[in-house]
Amino acid sequence: MSPAYPAPGPPSASAPVEARRPRLATGLLLLTLLVLVAFVLDVALGPVRIPVLTVARHLLGFGDVADTATAFIVHQIRLPKALTALAVGSGLAVSGLQMQTLFRNPLAGPSALGLTAGAGLGVALVMLTSGSIASASAVRQLGLGGSWLLVLAATAGAALVMALVLALAARVRDNVVLLIVGLMVASVTGAIVSLWQYFSAPEQIQEYLLWTFGALGGVTGPHLAVLATVVGLGLGLALASAKPLNALLLGENYARSLGLRVRRSRTLIILSTSLLAGSITAFCGPIGFVGIAVPHLTRALLGTADHRLLLPGACLLGAALVLACDCLAQLPGSQITLPINVVTSLLGAPVVLWVVLRRPVRSAA
Amino acid sequence: MPQISPCPGHAGGLAFSFLTRRSSCLLSLLLASHLVGWGQAKVAPPSAPARTTRPTPAAAAGRTTVQYAKGFRLDYVGNYKVISVQSSFEPQTKAVRYLLVPRGAARPAGYPDAQVIETPLRSLVGLSSMHVALADFLGASDLVVGVGSFKYVSAARVRQRIAAGQVYEVGQGKELNNELLVAHHPDLVMTTGWPGEGVDHFQTLRAAGVPVLINSEWVETTPLARAEWVKVLAALLNKEAVVNQKFDVVAREYQRLAALGRGAAKKPSVVVGLPFKDVWYVPDTDSYMAQFLRDAGATYHWDRTKAPSGSLALSFEAVAPVALGADYWLQTGTLATKAALLAQDARYAAFAPVKTGRVFNNNLRTNAQGSNDYWESGAMHPDLILADLLHILHPELLPNWTLRYYRPLR
Repeated sequence: MSPAYPAPGPPSASAPVEARRPRLATGLLLLTLLVLVAFVLDVALGPVRIPVLTVARHLLGFGDVADTATAFIVHQIRLPKALTALAVGSGLAVSGLQMQTLFRNPLAGPSALGLTAGAGLGVALVMLTSGSIASASAVRQLGLGGSWLLVLAATAGAALVMALVLALAARVRDNVVLLIVGLMVASVTGAIVSLWQYFSAPEQIQEYLLWTFGALGGVTGPHLAVLATVVGLGLGLALASAKPLNALLLGENYARSLGLRVRRSRTLIILSTSLLAGSITAFCGPIGFVGIAVPHLTRALLGTADHRLLLPGACLLGAALVLACDCLAQLPGSQITLPINVVTSLLGAPVVLWVVLRRPVRSAA
Repeated sequence: MPQISPCPGHAGGLAFSFLTRRSSCLLSLLLASHLVGWGQAKVAPPSAPARTTRPTPAAAAGRTTVQYAKGFRLDYVGNYKVISVQSSFEPQTKAVRYLLVPRGAARPAGYPDAQVIETPLRSLVGLSSMHVALADFLGASDLVVGVGSFKYVSAARVRQRIAAGQVYEVGQGKELNNELLVAHHPDLVMTTGWPGEGVDHFQTLRAAGVPVLINSEWVETTPLARAEWVKVLAALLNKEAVVNQKFDVVAREYQRLAALGRGAAKKPSVVVGLPFKDVWYVPDTDSYMAQFLRDAGATYHWDRTKAPSGSLALSFEAVAPVALGADYWLQTGTLATKAALLAQDARYAAFAPVKTGRVFNNNLRTNAQGSNDYWESGAMHPDLILADLLHILHPELLPNWTLRYYRPLR
C-alpha cells in the first residue's frame, strides 16, 4: 500500500520539533481556550433564554433555589450535555486519529473497524426485536430496562466486533485486510438491521431512527459517570500509544526495525479505539465525521505529525468542535434542537472533501 | 435523513406513525395554506354532474351528510354515489374520486379518472386497524376478509375470525402481498394515504381490477372529523341509516362532554408525549390531540403553536420547564409503569406529575400482541376518550366513570 500521506521525517528527530515548539505550544494553548469558550457558550445557550450570569450563579452553587426550572435546565440538561459533548468530541477525534495512523488511510475513522455498526446492531436488537427474540425479552424480564439495556447492548455489540477484529488482527498481518474486514462487518450488520427494520412496527423503527440521529442529551448521572470513565480510560491508552503511533507512520516494517512490538501496539491501539467508539456510540448514537475530520484539521492546525502533540491536539479540537456543533444544533432563538449527527455531518463532509481534493495536488508535487 | 417507515399505509394509527405520516408530507404542508379549508377549495371539476339530479328513491331513503370531516366529500348522484378524497392541507392536489355504483349497473359517464367500486361491498381488506374499527362500528366485522397485520387487530369479532382462519394478512406499503390480494379479489382494499402521494403502491392491484380506496382520516384536525370517516365505509355498504343513527349518538355525547370540559372552572395544565433524549414531539394546534385537550378543559402550552407537520419536534429543554410544573402528563409512549418511565430517564422524577402520581397513558386496552385498541376502536369513540380525559382532569365532573383507554402509571 502506498502511504496515504507523506511520512514525515523520523518523529524522534527533535530538531524540527524544537524549532516549532513555540507555534505548537501556542496552538495547544489556543485550543484549550477554544474548548473553554465553547463549553461556556454551550451551557449558556439553549432554547430557553437564561442570562449568562444566572447560569454562572447556578453552576457555582449560588443559584436561586426557588427557581427550580432554571436549576433543572442548568444542572440536569445543559451541564450533562456539555460534559457529554466534551467526552464525545475528544473520544471520537482521538479514536479517528489512531485509526488513520494505524491503517495509514486518511479516510479511516472510528467506524472503519465496524465498531459503530456493531453497537448499532446491539441497539437494533433491543429496539426492533423486542418480543420476537427470546433473549432480548429475557433480559427485560431481569428488570433491566430503559437506557441501561440499550447501553449494554450497544457495548456488547461493539465488543463483539472488537473481539472479532482482534482475533483476526492476530492472524492477519495486513492492516488493509483488517480495514476490509471492518467494512464487511459493517455491511453485514447493516443488512441485519435493515432486515429487522423491514419487519418491525413503525414505532420501533421510529425509536431506532431517533437513536441513529445521535443525541448528546439524556446522558446524566450514573450514565455520564460510566461514559466519562470509559472515555478517560480510552484516552489514557491512546496517549500511551503515542510513540508506537509515531513509529507506525513510517510503515510496519520500519517500525519493527525500530524495535516496536507491532502486534502488541496494534492491539493496544485497537483496544483504545474500541473503548472510545463503542462507549460513545452506545450512549449517544453514531455521531458522524468527527472521527474523520478532526485529525485532518489538527494536523493542518499544528503542522506536525508527532502524535505526542497530535493526540492532545485532536482531543481538544474534537471537544471544541462538538461543543460548537451542539451550540449550532440548538438553533439559538428556537425551541427546536437539530440532531447532532446532522450538524457534525454538515460541517464534517466539507472537511473530508477538502482532504480528498487536496491529495492529488500533493502527489503531483 | 433516513426514510422513516413507509409513510402512509402503516397499521395501527400508532401515535407516532401518525406523526411520521404527517411529517412525510412536510414539504407539501409548508407550501399549502391551512387557512384554505377543503370546504372552500375548488373541488368539483366541470365534468361533475349537478347535484340536482333526481335521486332514486333508494338513495333518498339512505343518505348521510358530512359535518365535521374536511378530507372527503360524499355526493349522491342518480343511482350512484361519488366519494372525493381531497388533501385538506394541499388544496391544489387533485381530488381522488370513487364512483360507488350498484352491483351490475353500468359505469356512469363523465368521470374518466374515477375508480368504480360496486356496492354494497361483500368483502373488505383494511390495511390499518382503524379500518377494522370502521367495519366493527357499523356491525360489519364479518366483511373483513383481510388485514394489513394480524398483530394490530383488537376487535374481538375479527380476532375470532382470524383465529378461525377466515382472515388473511396482506402486509403494507412495499410489503403488500399483491399476489394474495389478486387471488382473493376482495371487493375493496382500504389503505391509509392521501391524494398527493408520490409513490403509487397499488398499480398492480388496480390493473387486476381490485379497487383501492385511500383513507386520509389521519389528516383531520378534530376527533369527530376523524371518526366521521366511517361514513365513507357506510356509503360503500349502503348503511347510511345505521351510520346516521350511531355516529349521531357519538357526536352528541362528545359535544355534551366537550361542553362540560370547556366550561370547567379550573383548567389543569397538561404535558403530552414521551421524549427521546433531546427531542420531545408534542401535538400542535391542528392536531386532534390538541382538540381533545381543549374539549377536556385542559391548559395546553402549545395549544396555539402551529407546526408544518402536525407535531412539534421540540428540544427536551423547551418542554422540561412546562413538564416540571404541569398538573398531568399524558401519553407516555408504550410505557405502562412508573418504573419503566424512570428507567428511561431518571430526570423525569423531577416532573410534578410524576411526583404526584398524575401520569396517565392511553394503553389500558393493549392486548397480548401488544396492539393498543386506543388507535383502533378509540378512533371511532372520541366520546369515550373524552370521557376518560374529563374523568382524569376533572374527577368532579364525571365521578363515576371507569377509564376505558387510559390508565395511571403506577
